[in-house]
Amino acid sequence: MPDLTLTRARRISQGLFLALFLFLFIQTESKGTDELGWPVKLFLDFDPLIFLTTFLASHTVEGLFWLSLILVGLTVLLGRFFCGWVCPLGTLNNLAGSLRKKRPKPPGPGWFRLKYFILVFVLALSLFGVQLAGVLDPISLTIRSFSVAIYPALSYAATSLFDGIYRLNLPVVTPASEAVYDVLKKTLLPFQQPWFAQGTFIGLLFLAILGLNLVQRRFWCRFICPLGALLGLLSRHSILRRSVSEECDSCGACVGVCQADAVPAGKEKWRASECLVCNNCDDVCPKNAVSFGLLKGRPTGGLDLGRRSVVASFLAGAFAVPLLRISPLARPRMSDAKIIRPPGALEEKKFLQSCVRCGECMKVCITGGLQPTLLEAGLEGLWTPVLVPRIGFCEFRCTLCGQVCPTGAIKRLPLAEKQQVRLGHAAIDKGRCLPFAHATPCIVCEETCPTPKKAIWLEEVTVRDREGKPVRLQQPHVDLTMCIGCGACEKHCPVVGQPAIYVTSAGESRSEEHQLLLQAPTGQKATYK
Amino acid sequence: MMKRRDFLKWTAVSSAGLALPGGLCALGRMAQAAQVPDLVVAKGASTPQVVRAALDAMGGMKRFIAKGDVVVLKPNIGWDRTPQYAATTNPDVVGALAKLCYEAGAKKVRIFDNTVSDARRCYKQSGIADAAAAAGAEMVYMDSRKYRDVKLNGTVLKSWPLYSEIFEADKVINVPIAKTHSLSVLTLAMKNWMGVMGGVRFRVHQRLDESLVDLCRVIKPTLTVLDAVRILTANGPTGGDLDDVKRLDTVVVGTDQVAIDSFGATLFGMKGSDIGSVKLAAKAGLGVMDLSKLQIKRISA
Repeated sequence: MPDLTLTRARRISQGLFLALFLFLFIQTESKGTDELGWPVKLFLDFDPLIFLTTFLASHTVEGLFWLSLILVGLTVLLGRFFCGWVCPLGTLNNLAGSLRKKRPKPPGPGWFRLKYFILVFVLALSLFGVQLAGVLDPISLTIRSFSVAIYPALSYAATSLFDGIYRLNLPVVTPASEAVYDVLKKTLLPFQQPWFAQGTFIGLLFLAILGLNLVQRRFWCRFICPLGALLGLLSRHSILRRSVSEECDSCGACVGVCQADAVPAGKEKWRASECLVCNNCDDVCPKNAVSFGLLKGRPTGGLDLGRRSVVASFLAGAFAVPLLRISPLARPRMSDAKIIRPPGALEEKKFLQSCVRCGECMKVCITGGLQPTLLEAGLEGLWTPVLVPRIGFCEFRCTLCGQVCPTGAIKRLPLAEKQQVRLGHAAIDKGRCLPFAHATPCIVCEETCPTPKKAIWLEEVTVRDREGKPVRLQQPHVDLTMCIGCGACEKHCPVVGQPAIYVTSAGESRSEEHQLLLQAPTGQKATYK
Repeated sequence: MMKRRDFLKWTAVSSAGLALPGGLCALGRMAQAAQVPDLVVAKGASTPQVVRAALDAMGGMKRFIAKGDVVVLKPNIGWDRTPQYAATTNPDVVGALAKLCYEAGAKKVRIFDNTVSDARRCYKQSGIADAAAAAGAEMVYMDSRKYRDVKLNGTVLKSWPLYSEIFEADKVINVPIAKTHSLSVLTLAMKNWMGVMGGVRFRVHQRLDESLVDLCRVIKPTLTVLDAVRILTANGPTGGDLDDVKRLDTVVVGTDQVAIDSFGATLFGMKGSDIGSVKLAAKAGLGVMDLSKLQIKRISA
């Protein structure tokens, strides 16, 4: 039966695209060089919602984003095939939905419109300069959730299991499990266990999205997904159309199998904007009365959202902008000490307008220092990356975060240029520093300082201990003309808990207003390769 | 076609012939051992040749490595730097040593270091991963489960988690690079053992010299090969400026780590007694600091 093969083709396509998505996700990891070797942000490049909202909010266009126009063109012709055949989140929703055998009752008639209101809200936000589409964009959302939650949790589970068997030290079993572990470490598992603030929270949200499939299959795709809504708008007049022949006796078999709310039984009222081209209705029809084809039948599918509702959504989005911007963090010249952005990040306002919260930079950061915020950067900065040096510092010779950023929120810089970027400056807490406060030798901050001429220098001093005995030691100082705020010193400071040397964003080179020195440091001679 | 009888004859004769040079070799080695120097300082433009010549002058790698040995090479790969910056052991030194070990009959050569920067980058950027691959040696990422608390009974360190593989391997070769360090003055052979320490190792800086001596009470490498092909004279141990790098094209080989470090100091215009850990180690009887008491053979290759 040719119909059956189309459904099977769809499943194969879903499987392949999910596999490609996961493959590129796993490749978003350093192998020791400064290149990844794969176009790891490909799915984001093809995402027209990311393109459109970034363009509206920041008026910038990143080179590869023209790929998303290909998807726009194909959707105009073929409808929401992306949702039904390609989208990794859609496929995961399909899988989660199949956990409940009995299909839930079809939802109320108007629910599907919700995602269009969300889309209008998100577009209005970006039109007035707030980029929050990434919070709900399915590609951003999936990469982010995998990066900071699902993958770390799976890694933790696998490591615990293999470590347990390793500790038991059983004959045959342990060597076998170690061999398997070895292969997994080289292929699927991360090089080291990732740890993320927000990991648990973002993970729960993702699991909730999957769980909603038990309430209604593809709940997310039907009611919430703003990318699905955008593609829905584009596919209203697609030339790939569904036709129902005279054979149809309105048995209603197709109603239950529709993956979305396309009203397959409605014949004339069939909604092209909601159809995921999944082919289930064609497949299930006992009379074989349903078929899809180019320019078959009549174009259908008016999409009446209600003018008032659209206007209300738009106004809500528009008013949300000032509401978000009255945070003191958005005040002119405001500088928050702990908002340390990745190297090459745009000036804060521009950065927030470009960052789509996809988590690629956090996934690729080799020290794991890039962490998602919650409200530290304001609600407008939700889940944007900040460097937390105590967790991981910015490696002096690495430029990977700029390479994987899909929107240029983190600029892609050549290595020599990146090494001149100041994320902030280090400061010494003399009340905690061992040589300052406790007459005890320690030079670890100086030792690990990576700049060619060390930004931390040591002063030979003689101090006295409690008994009044003289102690010769070296006390560290930070040279602000050289410190790039990478945080290697903070990461390695042996003073546990609150470190005795720490980085703040003061002096970050991305903001003219956040400079500490009257004359901006000229940086080091760029001899480094 | 060869007849069966001829074949047997042929094998008998040829095996005798093969056996003979082996016997001669052993005799030669015994004779050599009598005049083997304490330290060999080899210099030359081709690093692999320098390493080979230095080992030959020490009586050959077979003196140290037996057939079937599992050998650990411990270079200094602590930082994410390329070889020309002299922050990590020269990859040609490591590669040449791995080759010599295999030639001497080693079953496996394993290479690792507990790096400060990301291990993937350190291994790759230092050139050591590629050198190891070319020599057929295994580049191993440290496995956090394989640190064991080891009793040191030292003056400062009573026990510390150390990487168990260096105690399980048949032979261990220490392959440090010579660099400056603001606390230990220089980082040479003894300091290189910080790269097998687990735990919060940056705490030992509070009494670094004593701690290094304590480590060397239990870590006794078969051989130490100090890489001074390039040395880092300032901004160590990380470096990053070519102006701080001095090319010496030299490799120092010996079995006494204290002697090696004492000699290493002279490469920087210092004396062994300028290095706190060398002085303490000599006092503790772990090796000889006084270079005048050592037979040092200088060769050029």
